[in-house]
Amino acid sequence: MYVEVYREEFLGDFRFIEYKPFRLQKPAYAIIALPDAGLVGVIGAWHIVKSLELEEVGGIDSYSFLPPVIVVSNKEIKLPVRIFAKDDLLLVYSEFMLPQAGMVQLSRVLLNYIERKGVEYIVLMSGIPIQNRFEVEKLRTYYITTSPKASELLKDVEAIPFENGYLVGPYALLLKESIKLRLDSIMLLTESFLEFPDPEASAKNIKVFSRIIGKSIDVKDLLEQAEVIRIRARDTMKNVVRNLAQMRKEYEYTPPLHI
Amino acid sequence: MSIEDEFERLWRRIKEIERSIREYVEEEFRKALEDIRNEIRSIDRMLMPSWSHEGYLRPLYTVKDVGNAYIIYLDLPKADEGSIDVRFKGNLIMIKAKLKEGLRLSNWSSRGSEIKFHEYREVIELPIRIDPSKVRVSIKRGRVQIVVYK
Repeated sequence: MYVEVYREEFLGDFRFIEYKPFRLQKPAYAIIALPDAGLVGVIGAWHIVKSLELEEVGGIDSYSFLPPVIVVSNKEIKLPVRIFAKDDLLLVYSEFMLPQAGMVQLSRVLLNYIERKGVEYIVLMSGIPIQNRFEVEKLRTYYITTSPKASELLKDVEAIPFENGYLVGPYALLLKESIKLRLDSIMLLTESFLEFPDPEASAKNIKVFSRIIGKSIDVKDLLEQAEVIRIRARDTMKNVVRNLAQMRKEYEYTPPLHI
Repeated sequence: MSIEDEFERLWRRIKEIERSIREYVEEEFRKALEDIRNEIRSIDRMLMPSWSHEGYLRPLYTVKDVGNAYIIYLDLPKADEGSIDVRFKGNLIMIKAKLKEGLRLSNWSSRGSEIKFHEYREVIELPIRIDPSKVRVSIKRGRVQIVVYK
């Protein structure tokens, strides 16, 4: 089945396609889910898509920075970076990791696109790798915000500010670009594995996210399916780990010399 | 100090420098070889699918050198913990584990949808000879930790 193109836009080396018109309710939130530690962001995002029944409204492609790949979903051809939306929520989802130069450009053009869609808050959810994750059962969630307005949303949630340390990878770039564009962004980081898919960490992020947006998202199904998800996500995880190593992800374990 | 002593002292110094250079070059060469081997292993692993037509899955694993030991973590979701079998031979660790129930890819991918998976299998190579009496294995929620002391 062919992709219906309602609207097409070229931003830098990226092609944004919308399959149908969509308008977000205010205040609108955007989630950007990219592969990172424990695939925490993408596993969580996929659960949100299913739970809130988000509709696939568009996609992003690039011949310069994405592998020559299409996604076939229920017999329909989709672009490698997928855009979902419903009510006040826009969700951008990719299982493919871009090279660093591509990630820099995508961060810029994606945030520009999201801003033009009328999004007020950007929520980034990922894992923060801890070396003793094997032993830890009660996971802590940290947050980083780019503005006082974004911090307001975290007043009554079960998350603690991330005070000192490094953040390496795609989300570090998105935060830098958010600051540059003066966007209100929130980064949620739950303790996780680095090299293994970690659905439990995704569930913890979702609990915090649902408090932020004031919408209930049940994670029971995600936790029940955790083992199956860990099996399904093995190949994606394997490819992501290699890219994270090239980005020097292990630098996150380093305490800064000066705070 | 006589000229012979002076010469002897100089000669010893030259030999010391020569030995340090040789040790340095050998160490750097060993590290470079290890990096190349790791790179080849990682490319091999990347290109190898994580499942086989023979009906087994290959688990994700990671090997960490922590100085006095190697720590290996394996992710074995849906494995029957009682069936996890870890064996050692030379510098190899051989892992097998039965799945709690047969599993098909059919719901997720059209590729390999006809195959039913029954177990995990993996062989991990370490750069040292493993002494089984110096190994500790622990299992928690489908994840295995193997500590191999050097």
